[in-house]
Amino acid sequence: MLLMKQLGKVFHTGEVSTHALREVDLEVQEGDFVSVTGPSGSGKTTFLNIAGLLEVASSGLFLLDGENVNQQTDSQRSKMRNQKIGFIFQSFNLIPELNLFDNVDVPLRYRGFDAKERKRRIEQQLELVGLASRMKHLPSQLSGGQQQRVAIARALATSPRFLLADEPTGNLDSQMAQSVMALLEDINRQGTTIIMVTHDHGLAQRAKRQILIKDGRVSELTAAMHETLHHEPLHIVSPVSAEHSAKVAGV
Amino acid sequence: MFELGPIFRALLRQKVGAILIALQIALTLSIMVNAIFMMQQRSSQMARPSGLDEANLFYLSNTVFGQNYNHEAALADDLRLIRGIPGVVDATQINAIPLSGGGWSMGLQHKAGEGEDDIGVAVYMVDDHGINTLGLELIAGENFQLTDIEWRPAASVSWPARAIVSQAMAEALYPGAYQTALGKTVYINQNEAIQISGIVKTLQAPWNGWDGVERSMLVPFQMENRNGRYMIRTEPGRRDELMPIIEKALAESNKNRIIRNVTSLEDTREDSYRSHNALNKILLLVIVILTLITAFGIVGLAMFSINRRRRQIGTRRALGATQLQVMRYFMLENFLISTLGVTIGAIAAVGLNIWLVSKFELAPLQPQLLVFGVLALYLVGQLAVFYPARKAAAISPATATRSV
Repeated sequence: MLLMKQLGKVFHTGEVSTHALREVDLEVQEGDFVSVTGPSGSGKTTFLNIAGLLEVASSGLFLLDGENVNQQTDSQRSKMRNQKIGFIFQSFNLIPELNLFDNVDVPLRYRGFDAKERKRRIEQQLELVGLASRMKHLPSQLSGGQQQRVAIARALATSPRFLLADEPTGNLDSQMAQSVMALLEDINRQGTTIIMVTHDHGLAQRAKRQILIKDGRVSELTAAMHETLHHEPLHIVSPVSAEHSAKVAGV
Repeated sequence: MFELGPIFRALLRQKVGAILIALQIALTLSIMVNAIFMMQQRSSQMARPSGLDEANLFYLSNTVFGQNYNHEAALADDLRLIRGIPGVVDATQINAIPLSGGGWSMGLQHKAGEGEDDIGVAVYMVDDHGINTLGLELIAGENFQLTDIEWRPAASVSWPARAIVSQAMAEALYPGAYQTALGKTVYINQNEAIQISGIVKTLQAPWNGWDGVERSMLVPFQMENRNGRYMIRTEPGRRDELMPIIEKALAESNKNRIIRNVTSLEDTREDSYRSHNALNKILLLVIVILTLITAFGIVGLAMFSINRRRRQIGTRRALGATQLQVMRYFMLENFLISTLGVTIGAIAAVGLNIWLVSKFELAPLQPQLLVFGVLALYLVGQLAVFYPARKAAAISPATATRSV
């Protein structure tokens, strides 16, 4: 479903080149729930941006549903984002001038659905997140947790196959975070593939798979590694390569 | 498909800037439409034909200062001299120059007597060469005969028996049937009978701002005048060459006068409409400046709005908006603002025109001009917002995930 091979991303600022991602090999299957953790500046957001077609990799191969997205035009990537990917942002990224109905409507309009279909989907998704009664409210009239629920409704409105969440609980208190996480788990159980970037170790562990990014390199944490790392915060974990991960896991 | 509804609702929540730009558009439209209207009126005035062969005509002043000057003999000599110069088509003495701003006017009335209504008419005193010299088109009746020409002493107040009038004057005298004017007797100076012996198609009066500028008449006079004028028509393309030659020939033929103010009819026309031209240029400048200010205002508001909404634009891109859809968003937003502006502006333009019509006796505004103004401002708005919209479309979708 999602396949990255030897993927790299380099940012150039003047004469300085920064390798944000190096030789990333990753495969995500349909129905997966992958958490992505790593220290600040490790390349998590760059990874998410590339996975979500918000940025293009500098090297390597990236196939999404068998399509080589590196070779697509900006317009093709926009359409693919709209059709296959839903986004949940840390700061919710709701449009402040639009009410909840119009916010959820944004990706549906880009999809080209007719008014009747858009209305059906908006009402369905707002119902799902428990905010159907407040669809004429502005985002500023909602709590942070409610805003994130609206963002989830917006992300799901186009029935995407992927849901990419960038620190979805980062701006929420723990109770709200648990509630949003439960909602994501529920969505995953219904078949939507989720990739979630988080700093929260506890939430990360609730995902089916965990990815660690450090210094631009990606490695997958196994169950055995969890045991080893259980009491250590992730930000002090030493660099993990695939080979190193295997050693730690005693393979 | 389009986002007019959400854009409109979003504008309602951020309305101050939009309303200010809409008001600027409204002001520009109302001033622009009325300014163009005034320019059109002036341009159409300037485009009116004088009826003369302007390109080949010039005139000069003949100022006599000698004692015992024989005006009648000198006039005959001068005209013989001028007409004999190769390249000259014809020449006549004339009392006033069309479009020059200075001339004679009288009133013609149907019935003799005091208190009768009269119709104002510009008077040109010429001899039997007048029509040919001026290049007028005689559409009815006949030209003056040599025997019709009367000598008019300086202090005379009498009028000749015949006159040739312009079609507009004939129409004014006999509305709807100008041809019937031919042969009719009208009265000048209340009681002096004058018969209309011919009608020329067009002959403008000396005053371009007069509402009766098309009403004029020729009377068969040669005048005793210490400051007279000769009108001279040349063969096509020879006017400029002949102007100094004739000036010199006249000056040398009689030392008791000076020849001055040698002027072409084209220069006279230019002088006559100089203020019209200047005002049109000022109005055009006002339109251009106002339009530019409006365009810059739109660019400024759009750039400000886009910089303020970078994250939002990135989010829209992340949610699947193509670059074209982002551009379209801002162009539609401008369209809505422009719609508000042109609606207010159209009402203001009509209001301003009603005021101008009542104050300065202008004609009412033509609806098609208003339509033109509205379309022009829509176009200005769309052109002005195009660059900011392109900048917005270039915002990376990755902006959505940036924390700063």
